[in-house]
Amino acid sequence: MADRKTERLMNLVFTLLATERYLSKDELRTAIADYREQSDTAFERAFERDKNELRELGIDIDLGSHDPLNSHQGYRLERSEVELPQIDLTVEEGALIGLAAQLWDHSGMSREATTALAKLKSIGNDFDPSSLRMAEPHLTASEPSFDAIFNATSKRIALKFSYETRDGSNSERHLQPWGMISYRDRWYVGGFDTDRNGPRLFRLSRILGEVTNDGEPDGFEVPEDADLGQLAQALYPSEANRTAILHVTAGRGQGLRRHALSVSRPREGIDELEVAFAEVADLADEVVSYGASVTVIEPPELRAAVLDRLRKIVGLAK
Amino acid sequence: MNPSAKQVVRMLAMVPFLQENQGIPLVELAREFGIKPAKAQRELEMLMMTGWGQYHGQMIDFDMTALEVDGMVYIRDAEFMARPLRVSRSEAAALLIALRSLRQGATDEQTAIIDSAMLKLSAAAGTEVDDSIQVRPPLGVDEAIQATVTQALANGRQLALAYSTESRDELTDRVVEPHRIFDHDGRRYLTAWCHLAEAERSFRLDRIRSATMLDQAVSAVAEHGGRGTIFTPGPDGASALVELAAGNDWLLDEYETQKLATAADGSVQARLFGSDFDWLSRVVLRAGGRMKVIGPAELADLVSQSAAAALAAYDGNIPD
Repeated sequence: MADRKTERLMNLVFTLLATERYLSKDELRTAIADYREQSDTAFERAFERDKNELRELGIDIDLGSHDPLNSHQGYRLERSEVELPQIDLTVEEGALIGLAAQLWDHSGMSREATTALAKLKSIGNDFDPSSLRMAEPHLTASEPSFDAIFNATSKRIALKFSYETRDGSNSERHLQPWGMISYRDRWYVGGFDTDRNGPRLFRLSRILGEVTNDGEPDGFEVPEDADLGQLAQALYPSEANRTAILHVTAGRGQGLRRHALSVSRPREGIDELEVAFAEVADLADEVVSYGASVTVIEPPELRAAVLDRLRKIVGLAK
Repeated sequence: MNPSAKQVVRMLAMVPFLQENQGIPLVELAREFGIKPAKAQRELEMLMMTGWGQYHGQMIDFDMTALEVDGMVYIRDAEFMARPLRVSRSEAAALLIALRSLRQGATDEQTAIIDSAMLKLSAAAGTEVDDSIQVRPPLGVDEAIQATVTQALANGRQLALAYSTESRDELTDRVVEPHRIFDHDGRRYLTAWCHLAEAERSFRLDRIRSATMLDQAVSAVAEHGGRGTIFTPGPDGASALVELAAGNDWLLDEYETQKLATAADGSVQARLFGSDFDWLSRVVLRAGGRMKVIGPAELADLVSQSAAAALAAYDGNIPD
């Protein structure tokens, strides 16, 4: 069944491509066996569906006529519209695009990247990234909702979905998606949350079940001052605006030393580090991970947080 | 996209591709399109059912002898589609998003090439792809250090690094021959031949304290060295059985773990994989009492002794 439909769509594209003139619906039906074998109403339905599916794939079938006075309209694909224009990439550009295509893993957009390369290869371009030496980011999109959200974001279609918050509760949310951000192999969608009446960021992996369109293409405007970067700040640690004094065994606490504002040696074998931080809890976690190599001198609330954690750990062992 | 739509897109791209690459082996065709050879074969058979005038028998054909005997693909009667369709919006986006993320770690020279490639691709798609889809680089990588490491890699030069290792918590100086910079699990790594270890090693960029590009070129061996992958802790390394109270299992998100059971009260048991006991004990300590070691007992002892020793350091100089 699926094969028959694939063949029918291909035949429709080929038949329209092979002619310069507009073909009437009857001519198309005559040319394509699968249409011919259908009843009139089934054919009409199938033809409409096929046109829509091809439009989804970016293949827009023209309805028109060569003769403005002729009331018989027909269908065609305008070659200059649908065909890939000639693009000549330099060897260096080709190498970079070839590497770019390899960054996507299978759960991401590797299929799209592969098809794009095949098309560009068909018009004489080469993509050999083997000579390139540069940082290779990893791109993935394993979240089931990625395709639907990507599509809606590109076309500015409002969305609704069920979303699970960190405390485990979930609710239906309505979003006008402005953009998507990938950070540390996770995708987020940011936009205007019409329930909360403000900009919000959602993690795709916390979306439960299907994402559904909740409007038409171009159904909303992305405001001029929409700032995806501002929304993305929620993903990053807050800015370090406080300092702590730590005593660290010489040669230890390497993770803390990277962020030290100053280091002095109050006594043999001990370094005193001044470290900038934002959240007591985050720095306390890191200090505790070094065990006896790091002791907090100030501030008192950091000391208290560290002592609390250490006591809990010792308590667990009892 | 539904399966038959994916197939239509691929097969439409195959028709001009095959005309440009007459005689391509079937296995290579499959690789170019990221599918299995058996599937490529089936799609060629389907293409023979298609053409521009099904009724009149104007169908695509293949040299069946070449295909069946030599596994080579020669397409015929497909001149009506000698050029591919435009690169679709999502196809262009896949490449543009990736190029933009390459750009973040590129040298100036590479950046200029990326920019011209992006312009040409946008023209091919006939559509602008804006920056509403963004890939953020891993956090905590010092830009100056990354620039030095990237320069050394691009120019095939050796690097002097001061590197802090996490599992042993120490700082070492090494000379390395860079092979590859890549991301794994949201971290950026450099793989390089390390003269100190006399072996291929992976270095997390956010743990490099200082980097200097040296005058020495990388040796021929390094230049052709492996692409390199990073050590992923797994069933062969050290591991621990840990328990976390309900709502705390996100603490495991950062690590290589296998979730084993969720109890009625919502607490979770999981196996945590690591390089060695020192590293595992630091992970458990970092959880600050929210992660309990069920086994092995040596690790549980190591953790509680470390915590007790740390507490003792506060004795006398901290009012409780």
